Amino acid sequence: MSEVATAKPGQAYVDAVRQSFGAAVQEESWQADNQVTLTVDLNSLPDIVEALYYHHDGWLSTIAANDERKLNGHYALYYILSMEGATKSYVVIRGLVPANRPEFPSVTPRVPATVWGEREARDMFGLQPVGLPDERRLVLPDDWPDDLYPLRKDTMDYRTRPPIAADTETYKFISTAGGGSAEVPLGPLHITSDEPGHFRLFVEGEEIVDADYRLFYIHRGMEKLAETRMGYNEVPFLVDRICGICGFTHSVAYVSSVETALKIQIPERVHFIRTILLEVERLHSHLLNIGLACHFVGFDTGFMQFFRVREKAMTMAELLTGARKTYAMNLVGGVRRDILKAERIRTLELIRELRKEVTALLDILVSTPNMLARTKNVGRLEPQVARDYSPVGPVIRASGHARDTRVDHPYCAYKGAPVRTHTREGCDVFSRVIIRGEEFHDSLAIIEYCLDQMPEGPILVEGFTYTPHRFALGYTEAPRGEDVHWTMLSDNQKLYRWRCRAPTYANWPPLRYMLRGNTVADAPLIVGSIDPCYSCTDRVTLVDVRKRTSKTLPYNEIERYCRDRTGSPLK
Amino acid sequence: MLKLLQELFRAGDATVKYPFAPAPSNPNFRGKPEYNPKRCIACAACTIACPANALTMTTEPAAGKRTWMLDYGQCIFCARCEEVCPTGAIVLSKDVELAVRNRADLMVTADFTLRNCGSCKTPFAPDKEVGYVIALLIRSGLPADQAERRRELFETCPDCRRHAEVMRRVENARLMEVRP
Repeated sequence: MSEVATAKPGQAYVDAVRQSFGAAVQEESWQADNQVTLTVDLNSLPDIVEALYYHHDGWLSTIAANDERKLNGHYALYYILSMEGATKSYVVIRGLVPANRPEFPSVTPRVPATVWGEREARDMFGLQPVGLPDERRLVLPDDWPDDLYPLRKDTMDYRTRPPIAADTETYKFISTAGGGSAEVPLGPLHITSDEPGHFRLFVEGEEIVDADYRLFYIHRGMEKLAETRMGYNEVPFLVDRICGICGFTHSVAYVSSVETALKIQIPERVHFIRTILLEVERLHSHLLNIGLACHFVGFDTGFMQFFRVREKAMTMAELLTGARKTYAMNLVGGVRRDILKAERIRTLELIRELRKEVTALLDILVSTPNMLARTKNVGRLEPQVARDYSPVGPVIRASGHARDTRVDHPYCAYKGAPVRTHTREGCDVFSRVIIRGEEFHDSLAIIEYCLDQMPEGPILVEGFTYTPHRFALGYTEAPRGEDVHWTMLSDNQKLYRWRCRAPTYANWPPLRYMLRGNTVADAPLIVGSIDPCYSCTDRVTLVDVRKRTSKTLPYNEIERYCRDRTGSPLK
Repeated sequence: MLKLLQELFRAGDATVKYPFAPAPSNPNFRGKPEYNPKRCIACAACTIACPANALTMTTEPAAGKRTWMLDYGQCIFCARCEEVCPTGAIVLSKDVELAVRNRADLMVTADFTLRNCGSCKTPFAPDKEVGYVIALLIRSGLPADQAERRRELFETCPDCRRHAEVMRRVENARLMEVRP
């Protein structure tokens, strides 16, 4: 790594902002050596974010809105940028929005990546982004009252269920396709399943000309719950449950945000234990996605074999944490369970078995003709679209951009660990699958390295001081990509604001570009290739642009068509 | 294709016989919390630690009763209760079979008697907790008779103790003033 050894790698970006927009910068505060927050004049905010994003190799991590009326009389917006130019640092651009006039200039026309963050800030806080091209709701359902903003401090208790405000669905699906296309709604919306989403594909014959989708049907209100009902040290157990696959990486991101905010020195051994478990999680997550890719191309034997070996990774998780999922390992200040000799030996055994079996299976997968035919040049994400939308993880790496939080902003014990950024130029589903395979092998090597290099020492620090209203960022590279948590402490052993951005949130907006130009039969494969928390993305509407017809299909029907490619549901 | 078949034959059966044979278990596994009411002193440490509110406690001063409750339906098996319990009354087992036919069967409760304050006669702490404090003093080296002599103190509620202490100091101060 050619990291410049300055004490504060973000200083270069701060200087650049001051040079071009000196008058607009109101305040500069450092949360850590690689985290700086600049409070700027609200009207200059779009200029500054655009300059950092496009002229200084910035990528958008997320936007955190906050109701700071109790603290300084304003709402605040934090545009969190991961700067990945010559020096790597997080730079947060903060704008204060007046309480009596909750409006701010939208950044989306200049930086498309901010679109979801700004729509969510409007839904949750009632802050109007002036000039935002997409004015639809993002998170709130159609039947939610107009003037109730859930995350404002004075609006509602977390148990409040407001009366239903509308009976009809008012959400408009948007298409750039001309009048000739047909609409395909994908799958029935299953309210009993855990992760529904509504996809609408605009097709001409079999070809997708555009796609739109609506998610957040099962928004769980976790941010509100954590801020009101839970203590800051109980939140790690809630965070574990954000995702059924990568919960641990969320909990590391959360606790490290609090640890950075409170400036707690974490023992080295903790960093190594966390790194091992982060990689164990990547093992089973990548195997799951590779298995699903097999399933979607009709190679079900491969699917079952990958799930068989995945069980070894689950055994490893159970051995090291006491549970297959929801490890409950993290507390602010350390971890709750040590890795002892017997566990170390068994883990190394499992790694040897996994390496052998997965290598063999990946060879078989790559030489399966059907796999290549179905995934090469399918679901292309062009590098420029990727640049505009800041997707993360294997999705961006398969489009030629070298972004990996483990390498760019080394956390835990990743500095010095055998971790590499795997990139490919294929931009397609195949590249994403191959990158996952390569990263799987890296993960095995990282676990071995950590078990070997792990220093002795305590695994938990206690007796730190809870300082009110400090805030900081926590970040990890989840199997699906960068995972960001922004946390501000309150003054009552709770959190004032907790903003969590899971990797898939960054990967959804560019998905429509990946779907364009492909056939309907490839849609589930493409959606699956971003590895979304997807298990029940259950509804597809197919819209035929030419015939102006629309037809709703159950998900299993479109999935069957994806596997067999016979008996088109469009006919 | 041949390689795949070879791999399939090599791998063999991957499934287990559960439920017809016991499921393979791991010594580190965190399963159903087992509660031993004999050891419990109703100190409420676990109910404060529980992130999921599966552990709760209600106090009915009129009935002189405190009820400890564990709802297995809400438990997330994190073992925070086991970590904070001073007496080892709750320990996570390897048991994963929690299914019941009736929702109420997921609830475990235990009732504890409250001790009335020796002075004001209102209930203030679980009887067993007071006993535990005295036992702890003996355990840490205080002779049994001396510990027993402090029983009256421990059986007084904090309010009455504070009041008594203030009165004692006032009396002392008065005596000091009387002296030349």
